[in-house]
Amino acid sequence: MKYMITHTTTYTYSEPASLSQNEVFLTPREIPTQKVSKNRLTIVPEPQYLKRQTDYFGNLSHIFMVQQSHNTLSMTAQSEVETMTPVAPPPDQTPSFETVAMGLEACENPSDLAAYQYVFASPLISIPPGIKDFAQVSFPPGTPVLKGAVDLMGRIFTDFTYDKSATTVDTPVEQVLAKRKGVCQDFAHFAISCLRSLGLSARYVSGYLETIPPPGKPKLIGSDASHAWISVFVPNAGWVDLDPTNNLFSGEKHICLAWGRDYGDVTPVKGVVMGGGIHTLSVKVDVSSQA
Amino acid sequence: MISPTANHLQDQSSLFNTLAFPRDAYCEAFIPQGQCREHWLPLVKALNATGIDSLNKRQDRVRRMRHEDGATFNPFDDPNQVRAPWALDIIPMPIAAKEWAVLEAGLIQRARLLELVLGDIYGSQSLIHGRQMPAELIFANPNFLRHCHGTKPTGNRFLTFYAADLYRGPDGRFRVLRDYGSNPAGLGYALENRIVISRVFQKFYHQTQICRLAPFFQTFHNNLIRRAALQQEDPRIVLLSPGPDSPIYFEHALLSRYLNYPLVEGQDLTVRNGDVFLKKLSGLEPVEAIFRHIPDNRSDPFALRRGTATGVAGLIQVSRDQNIDITNPIGSGFIDTPALSTLLPDLCRHLLDEDLALENHPAWWCKSLESRNHVLANLKSLNLGPAFDRSRTKALPENIKAAIEAESYAFMAQEPLCPSTVPVWDKHGVNSRYALLRVFLCASQEGFVVMPGGLAITAPDVNTLSENYPERQQSKDLWVYSDRPVEPFSLMDGMHTTTEFRRGRDLPSRVADHLLWLGRYLERAEVRVRLLRSVFRRITGEDRLADIPELPFLLDLMATQETIQLPEEKNIILRYRQLWDQLQDALYRKDRPGSLAAVLNQVQGAARNVRDWFSVDSWRVINRLDEVPDSPVEYPLEHLDETLYALSAFSGLAMESMTRGLGWRFMDMGRRIERAMIHTNLIRAGLSQLYEESRSKMEALLEVAASIMTYRSRYRTTFQLAPVLDLLLIDESNPKSLAFQCSQLADHVEQLPRQHERRFASPEERMALDMLTSVRLLDLSTIGSNQSDDENLVLSSFLESMEERLKNFAQAISAHYLARVPVTPHYSVITGEAKS
Repeated sequence: MKYMITHTTTYTYSEPASLSQNEVFLTPREIPTQKVSKNRLTIVPEPQYLKRQTDYFGNLSHIFMVQQSHNTLSMTAQSEVETMTPVAPPPDQTPSFETVAMGLEACENPSDLAAYQYVFASPLISIPPGIKDFAQVSFPPGTPVLKGAVDLMGRIFTDFTYDKSATTVDTPVEQVLAKRKGVCQDFAHFAISCLRSLGLSARYVSGYLETIPPPGKPKLIGSDASHAWISVFVPNAGWVDLDPTNNLFSGEKHICLAWGRDYGDVTPVKGVVMGGGIHTLSVKVDVSSQA
Repeated sequence: MISPTANHLQDQSSLFNTLAFPRDAYCEAFIPQGQCREHWLPLVKALNATGIDSLNKRQDRVRRMRHEDGATFNPFDDPNQVRAPWALDIIPMPIAAKEWAVLEAGLIQRARLLELVLGDIYGSQSLIHGRQMPAELIFANPNFLRHCHGTKPTGNRFLTFYAADLYRGPDGRFRVLRDYGSNPAGLGYALENRIVISRVFQKFYHQTQICRLAPFFQTFHNNLIRRAALQQEDPRIVLLSPGPDSPIYFEHALLSRYLNYPLVEGQDLTVRNGDVFLKKLSGLEPVEAIFRHIPDNRSDPFALRRGTATGVAGLIQVSRDQNIDITNPIGSGFIDTPALSTLLPDLCRHLLDEDLALENHPAWWCKSLESRNHVLANLKSLNLGPAFDRSRTKALPENIKAAIEAESYAFMAQEPLCPSTVPVWDKHGVNSRYALLRVFLCASQEGFVVMPGGLAITAPDVNTLSENYPERQQSKDLWVYSDRPVEPFSLMDGMHTTTEFRRGRDLPSRVADHLLWLGRYLERAEVRVRLLRSVFRRITGEDRLADIPELPFLLDLMATQETIQLPEEKNIILRYRQLWDQLQDALYRKDRPGSLAAVLNQVQGAARNVRDWFSVDSWRVINRLDEVPDSPVEYPLEHLDETLYALSAFSGLAMESMTRGLGWRFMDMGRRIERAMIHTNLIRAGLSQLYEESRSKMEALLEVAASIMTYRSRYRTTFQLAPVLDLLLIDESNPKSLAFQCSQLADHVEQLPRQHERRFASPEERMALDMLTSVRLLDLSTIGSNQSDDENLVLSSFLESMEERLKNFAQAISAHYLARVPVTPHYSVITGEAKS
């Protein structure tokens, strides 16, 4: 599929802000199943400092600073991407999760070593007591790794409630486990915590998902949103993306921006502002498919 | 505790004959048979010759000198807190030249090795790819900062300042217990110890060949300048400290003074266009190098997503752009990781093709099967702890074996520590304590250089010694004997050149802000003392309350300052008991914002933030303000006199020792603004009662305004309103008058730095001039004789408008020079798609 994505973030300040420093991950990542033909970031007011760089995980980020007094700050990322449906291996035929975990720990080849860094607890994804018990229900001994991951995803989808009111930027995994509520970011963090508790490698993916309006209704511009899902490491096959919020393998409607250990590594827009009083944030995302 | 069982020394006349030492530990000074080791002999002889009384006197002197230099533990939080970090013991610890040379070589090798490790993990990571280093050491280690990966530090030096803790085991060999890279502490205390001890043992110190410390600081400084290609004169280096809340803030202030690097906090620095700047009164001044004393993970709230209190937002990006030299580069705290030491013997062979010269304290990282088995088999005899976290803040899991099996890489175990013992002085004689050595190295063009000296940290038991509680430990000056004559360097030379930058024409805005408020609080406190004193003087006399006509007047004045709360209904004469209670609250209640105690607290708080600006003498006076009794005292007048004395002494000393630079200007502006505001406010509040021309009330007002003497000397005993008001408002020769304050303010603002050439008066200048002119033009000729209500109104609205103008003036100064802007982080939230 070909998509045109427009992602606009606007901060409005009740008092003038004197200095704003930001790091944004708004450039889609170039991967075998995703070609990026265009990407443009427009920032108003124009920043005095702007750098494009590659982070530790290979994502593209922009770092910029607006140094004059301003009452609003808006950044618009426009991208054109073409996506293909990734081919996932048949879950039943993937190696058992125990073998995978042992292979990762042994780090015998470069791909295992590269994947091994996503096995550990990270700043926003702890592995609290009780997580492993939850995970093991999907992973009886000998379970093929992807089969178990798909089962885990299905359980999160059926047992957990999507609830915007139950979340903040860093809802801890413990809370998601206890309340069984949250949004895509929380479900992704939770699923990753479960997989890591078994010694498996799982990373956090930030991106977009095209939404389809109900039949007969026109699609509203800007009604899309940022999305998050997970990627689990399957030896030989590579990384397989799963979307626990929607209980599906990620397909051509999923557009990947960046990945990392957790949300904190790849927050689409983050920064610090001096002054500014009360901040009002507005985010508009539009993902439209091109014929 | 060390038991007094083991061998005693034989020479009964020696101070050391009571010295006891445990059987297992190595004794630094004596061999077990009681003979003194050769390199201790001159010192032991000198101490014996000095005698107990003199040594006790000298120990007192040491304590006093160190306290006077301010080496105490947060003096404001607890006035009785006498425990300073690393309290100094009078007996130095000598080390023989030969032995030191071996240590020196070992430390240099270790620093080289650790720097190579840092370069690798923040670069190609070939060590984990080549399996010389288990990947967990990077992947699961919070001391590894991903944001710093790929950053090339200035001069490609990944480690420029390094410290290690060493101990000598029972076999007499030194081993390394800990490595410090993030922000090693103790260098300032080592410097202070040397300054104090070399003074106390002046003769002995100068007759003996003891390596001097000054050359090390010169090497540190010269290499920083060379590495960062800074200009020789006036290099733009700052010392970044967490501020006065740090228990070792003293050390930061001392190093700042000694190295002549301005002492700054995170909020003093800002990042613009990829460079770091220091916020000063006249604008932003570029900074090229930072001597960092805040930990890695608090260095940059922007990149590292922590609270915004300490670091500098954007600092990591600046170092990525190679626009700043940071000592040490952020991320160097990786070498503080306890588990790393277990790999060093192998890494040394791999990276340097040498054997590790200086041994580690025996430790086993459970990551490897062999070590894990050793640890599991010896759980009882080993000290188990986290592999990546030295602070050991988290309790170990209950089922240790299961935890180790599950996450072997997260645990390590050390052999119990058995350090050597050293003689220390206590009141009755020589005693024995366990000791660690903290030594320091810096990078130079020719490789690493070891400071020939350091801290010998001592404690009565091994646990206190191995935990990181400097306030429970003592320290000694470490004397490294030289086999060559030493060059006579004076440490104090460094201390004298200090004052230059602080006397300069500019200063950090934060400092100016604190000084301005300190001036205001001082004045606020002084007025309260005068008000309370005037009241207590009257009510402690013979008169009944009802017979003191000016008492309600004074109480009204006090109520305008929110020092007491009067009943709603007017003209009720308080009963003695009620009044007494109110006054007690006004004196001592810290939770009442207008009370004297609360304002004195503010004085101390503001002073504390600019502590390094004041002389030791001023400091002692400020500490005395703490001596406010918690419970009411019988003679409040004495207490008030004492307080007023302390306040005046502090103002006098502070003003005197500050030369007429910008710092002094801001503090004095604070005083003037506050004095003008309060006096105007008091006169306006009392005006209606003053029209009665009651002598006692006018006297009371003059007393509170500290102008009674001046009035008497001019007008003798005639009390009339017009001259009273003239003296308090218009008379510019009275330093307490409103006009005098305004003229001083006008003078100050004219001297403040400005960004542009002076062509027009600044808004503050115009405001000050406007206030001064209005006071000068005030007509008081009609006051006093059958005044009409209209005239009352004119004066009272003049006073009101003055208060308003003063307030605006203070705000304008703050907005122009002292803008304090809150910093807020923001993040986008990802909510994703609702389930269809």
